Amino acid sequence: MQMVGKIISIFDISIEVVLSSDNVKVGDILEVVDDPNYRFEVVEISNTSATCISLGSTRGLKKGLDVKILSHGIHVEYSDKILGRIFNSYGIPIDKRKIESVKTRRTDHPTTTLQELNIESQILWTGIKVIDFFAPLQKGFKMGLLGGAGVGKTVLIKEIIHNVYTSLNSNAIFTGIGERSREGQELYSEMKKSNLLDKMAMVYGQMGDNPVSRSKAVYSGLTMAEYLRDEKKQDVLLFIDNIYRFIQAKAEIATELKQILIGNGYPSDMASEMSKIEERINSNQNGSITSVQAIYIPADDLTDESVQTIMSYMDGQIVLDRKVAELGIYPAIDVFNSTSKLVDVEKIGERHFSLVESVLKTLTRYNELEEIITVLGIEELSEEDKLIFYRARKLRNYFSQPMFVAEAYTGIPGEFVKIDDVLNDVEAILNGKYDDIDESKFLFIGKVS
Amino acid sequence: MDKGIDSNVDKVISNIYTNENVYATGRVTRVNKYNIEVSGLNDVSFYEAIDVNHKASGYVMGIYANKIIVSLVEINEEIVPGDIVYALKKEFKCLFSPDSMGKVIDIFGHDLIAGKSFEKTVEVPLENPTIPIMDRTAVTREFLTGIIGIDLMYPIGKGQRQLIIGDKKTGKTQIALDAIVNQKDKKMICIYVAIGKTKKEVKDIYFELTKRGAASYTIVIASFNDELPTRTYLTPYVATSIAEIFMMQKYDVLVVFDDLKKHADVYREISLTSKKTPGRDAYPSDIFYTHSRLLEKGAQHIGGGSITMLPIVETKSGDITDYISTNIISICDGQLVLSAKSFARGEKPAINYGLSVSRLGGNVQTPDMKKVGSKLRRELLSYLEVRSVYELANIDEMSKELQKKMRDGKVMVNKLKQYKFSPRTKEEMKAEFAFLFEESTDLEKKINDSDGTHSSSDGNYQEKDHSNTSLNIEKN
Repeated sequence: MQMVGKIISIFDISIEVVLSSDNVKVGDILEVVDDPNYRFEVVEISNTSATCISLGSTRGLKKGLDVKILSHGIHVEYSDKILGRIFNSYGIPIDKRKIESVKTRRTDHPTTTLQELNIESQILWTGIKVIDFFAPLQKGFKMGLLGGAGVGKTVLIKEIIHNVYTSLNSNAIFTGIGERSREGQELYSEMKKSNLLDKMAMVYGQMGDNPVSRSKAVYSGLTMAEYLRDEKKQDVLLFIDNIYRFIQAKAEIATELKQILIGNGYPSDMASEMSKIEERINSNQNGSITSVQAIYIPADDLTDESVQTIMSYMDGQIVLDRKVAELGIYPAIDVFNSTSKLVDVEKIGERHFSLVESVLKTLTRYNELEEIITVLGIEELSEEDKLIFYRARKLRNYFSQPMFVAEAYTGIPGEFVKIDDVLNDVEAILNGKYDDIDESKFLFIGKVS
Repeated sequence: MDKGIDSNVDKVISNIYTNENVYATGRVTRVNKYNIEVSGLNDVSFYEAIDVNHKASGYVMGIYANKIIVSLVEINEEIVPGDIVYALKKEFKCLFSPDSMGKVIDIFGHDLIAGKSFEKTVEVPLENPTIPIMDRTAVTREFLTGIIGIDLMYPIGKGQRQLIIGDKKTGKTQIALDAIVNQKDKKMICIYVAIGKTKKEVKDIYFELTKRGAASYTIVIASFNDELPTRTYLTPYVATSIAEIFMMQKYDVLVVFDDLKKHADVYREISLTSKKTPGRDAYPSDIFYTHSRLLEKGAQHIGGGSITMLPIVETKSGDITDYISTNIISICDGQLVLSAKSFARGEKPAINYGLSVSRLGGNVQTPDMKKVGSKLRRELLSYLEVRSVYELANIDEMSKELQKKMRDGKVMVNKLKQYKFSPRTKEEMKAEFAFLFEESTDLEKKINDSDGTHSSSDGNYQEKDHSNTSLNIEKN
């Protein structure tokens, strides 16, 4: 293709090109003539110049180099060839194998229309006690997975992949955004080992990559999920780890482009950029996309502007808590803040609903009692409160669970627990059936046998 | 033939006219601490090496239509507008000497203790591209620090990034030094990177390492607090590039960054000086990327070599939830949290066992260590939790099981205390905690024999009498 302009300025990832052609559009991918190492995306054009962001490193780039149009937008494979493969943010396989392309599609795509949108669907049990009990999932749901650093978020995502995968029998997409490369490698080899790899595709723009790469991974992953939903008519699972890193990358790009930022350095178009993604993750007449999106909380601050923006799209949330992790209870879920739109008498039924209420009541009382005990000692409690105290501790321990993917850490084999068993066990603990059993016996078990 | 010479001569002459002979030159138009603006230099590439009239050196960090921005890393003489600037036609690189082992060096090939330049040096890039996912393999080989609480409960593997975080004076650097000293005869190369430290601190550390016989396999790469911020900023990256050279030659390397909070502050200074829009706590928006791309170089490479990283972060009043700390926690594969309270109690190393995490856990331990470690961790955490609830209760009134737990707990906490530079072997560690297994089986037998009567802690507590507690205190 012919040359369309020359580089006039370079500052980190932002590049200015003087145009000699009026063919260039926003979103086009430009490439330095004779050097495919340097590729840029056009983000702004005037009648004489184009502002671009570099897809890779700009080290060694010079002023005056000629550029050409490589493609209109980023394209990824849109066929079964994605399965079992691992891609970078720009849709290029990184598993050292060639891809024989059947069909590709541009990664920026319109959102689901109101007409296409389908909101009816069934419950999706994960086999993880604390999630199924407090925050059950539905096909087509968006579940936020919140947690500060180092409280076991990624392990939980892997466990959900493992459990839901075995029961749903449809393909999954894993999108890694700004997370650890080591974990990317591990997930890949774990999936390979358990023969799940050829049933999923992975897209990675990890934390060592430049912000442009990190901001593009989600579009590529989403396009692949849309392929599975629209062409293969599946109920797709889409994992995004971590959606916060998308906004973080956008903030870095906005800073480089010298845009005006809002508080804490976030880009002003954060909400509209999020909408363009979240409104594509939906169910339609072809199938559903159920997504679990890990949300990192910067500085452990739940009121952070970007976290709030992301949360507004979620149908439920699972909150991981450092204090629970400190007690050695995993998954370290904060049951008071974890919930989903399914927790409703009409949706999960009278029994489940009232059990959730009583458990939360018992645990709330336990927290109050704990404060009293710190001051006065346990013997000062009334008989009734003592029962609540010990039963609450049993409940708390019961909601820990041996996980399949954590077997290496704990040495305890994982378990998939059916919701009926969970309801029976919780009822029995609340009714005092297990008052004589030591609380430590409830730690890291499946169902009470 | 003649034609060829002619065209060559023409080319050289035209090059001279356009200032393209040997080095391109320009003039300084503006000076701002360690950033200068230069005009007249047109044909430079991003990150090209720059020399300012032999007074200073640096690299191109911005190219505009009519000027370039140069970031200076070395200033020997004051620069004034009008100074001539040479573009050196090559990427800016640092220097490293293969003779650096056992020395304190900077990133420009100087031996700082001897006060001279190394004779033999190789060029090292500021940064290499990221290590691709497929060039990594699982982190599974153990890296032993010789510290019981770490090797048993929060183990580190070769290629792992384990953060050491805590307040001032809680022994963060000491843990890193202990880990270095424990690598003797283990075929590891250790690199201690001092970021913005005082000269006294660095010399102390150097003597400490030499005294313990660790110098033969350790390099100290230092940047001091009175140096140019740009230089301090680059030091950990260059140190990592050096570590990568060894890793690619199949060596196992340990890199200690002491500390990254300082690095973040230095980078904040540079960013604000160059007028980048500040974000949270006035750090620039790319502060996460600044550390993530550095720490992502910690890896187990497919070729056999590895880079293990122990970054250190200093906190204020024990708050590990501030911006920089949570950023780095979210990059690393785990964290060792040090507590001022434990330190004051004399429980050294002052590890907060509740808050510390190793995301790789048992994956990097041998089965024997894993067995003891996971048991110890479970028992200890459960003791620490129970301790906070039952601290006021009378131990005689407790259920047998709980009494045992409280007693064992105290023993465990005592056995975890360890002096500095007194590494233990795996065998010693396992032997220390063998009691956990003997007694627990006894305990289970006892419970089974008595048909679970002792296991109900509820029953025992109901009889508890307040006067007993006070009596007990008097006796004591």
